[in-house]
Amino acid sequence: MVELFMQYLLWPLVKIIVVVLFLVLMVMAMTYAERKVVAHIQVRLGPMRVGWHGILQPVADTVKLLFKEDIIPIKADLPVFILAPILVAIPAFLVFAVIPFGPAPFYIADINVGILFVLAISSFGILAILLGGWAANSKYPFMGGLRSCAQMISYELPMGLAVVSVLLVAQNLSLVSIVEWQQKSGWWLFALQPVAFVIYFICGVAETNRCPFDLPEAESELVGGFHTEYSGLRFAFFFMAEYINMVAISALTVVLFLGGWLRPFPNVAWLSFLDYVPPVVWFLLKTFFFLYLYLWIRGTFPRYRFDQLMAVGWKWFLPITLANCIVTAGVLLFFYYR
Amino acid sequence: MTLRQLLRKVFLIDFLEGFAITGPYTFKKVYTEQYPKVPAKVPPRFHGAPRLNVDPETGKTLCIACDLCAQACPIGLIEVQRERNAETKRWELKGYTYNAARCMFCNLCAEACPTNALELSQTFEYAVYDMKELYWDKAALEKGPTVVRFTK
Repeated sequence: MVELFMQYLLWPLVKIIVVVLFLVLMVMAMTYAERKVVAHIQVRLGPMRVGWHGILQPVADTVKLLFKEDIIPIKADLPVFILAPILVAIPAFLVFAVIPFGPAPFYIADINVGILFVLAISSFGILAILLGGWAANSKYPFMGGLRSCAQMISYELPMGLAVVSVLLVAQNLSLVSIVEWQQKSGWWLFALQPVAFVIYFICGVAETNRCPFDLPEAESELVGGFHTEYSGLRFAFFFMAEYINMVAISALTVVLFLGGWLRPFPNVAWLSFLDYVPPVVWFLLKTFFFLYLYLWIRGTFPRYRFDQLMAVGWKWFLPITLANCIVTAGVLLFFYYR
Repeated sequence: MTLRQLLRKVFLIDFLEGFAITGPYTFKKVYTEQYPKVPAKVPPRFHGAPRLNVDPETGKTLCIACDLCAQACPIGLIEVQRERNAETKRWELKGYTYNAARCMFCNLCAEACPTNALELSQTFEYAVYDMKELYWDKAALEKGPTVVRFTK
């Protein structure tokens, strides 16, 4: 009885709390890092006043958001308006239920359809964004919601297809098994599926509404996009969800293509001194690299026009990923399973 | 689209070039100044608050009351009050006012000064609450403005 309690209740609960705390901390760190990194790319300083080099800026921002007046427009669809921020935050956290931070005890759950679960949950977040855009009963949020919906649906397809080619190689849907396959074969999957790797990450950037695909919240065109009418804590939820989604996409890219918690060249014997670094640290290092890449992209590229965005999604990524899938399947079929 | 452009696009060359430009910028020297916290550095030829120089040894003013500065000033904000000494037949300085509120820092007065008595210094932080406080007399000009630094 005590064992069952430990195994199914206490232990997962501890893990969940740790992961949630880690994510909230990551959100704060990311807001700070974003302002700092983009500032330095533009040869500015960024926040400098709150604490040493502005290190306490996220805390100040959080306090500000907590104490801001919560404005609800008169003509807003009240239940939906209240529901949307909650619905947008839940799937963002939920994705981390299946992401393996390290071997055996370092994940909350290892379900055999892990990657499908992730794709399903992240599509659910789109619905919440559309609801948020709709609920405010105002033009700009509605436009933002529409754009967001169109963009996310069109980028979900190549993203899914990029994942399919990974699944074809790894022969498994569980995220833990995908990493274990990479360990067994000695190849990180990005070496076997470079096209899928690049397209997956670009689609991930589009999926999280980040620059250069940030049309749904383009400040210069739409005021603020789907969250224009939100303020205070509700806005904070949208904000938090966006950053957690960034962490999720980075983590997934690492799991699917960069060998998750594995060290570089997992089967090369003379590199075994790298094993002294714990697997979780390897995982986090790789994830941080992709998070940095997000900021680097933001500091580098201008925003796409909407028709260009759609053209890239439908005319380039979709055919390329489809072709990639077919080629992968063909190669596997004719050379591997003969 | 030529083949070259297409290949550049497909292999993300343009993307990588963009990264190569912004990447090093991350580590370049930052231009932003932390002004009220750190005093601002002004270039060597900066024209700021006017100052009447005194002889460092005797402590007497270098001004010979020639009135050239007042004549040079395009705005006419300098007023030299002087009197001819009956014995030496020289002008003697009785009073000097400088309306720092209207000065445009053209430096013509300082250039006109034959003894380098009038000079535009590097100080620029002399904001006051009352404009009348910017009518500086001889004593104020010799002392220079008092800079008040912001503290929490």
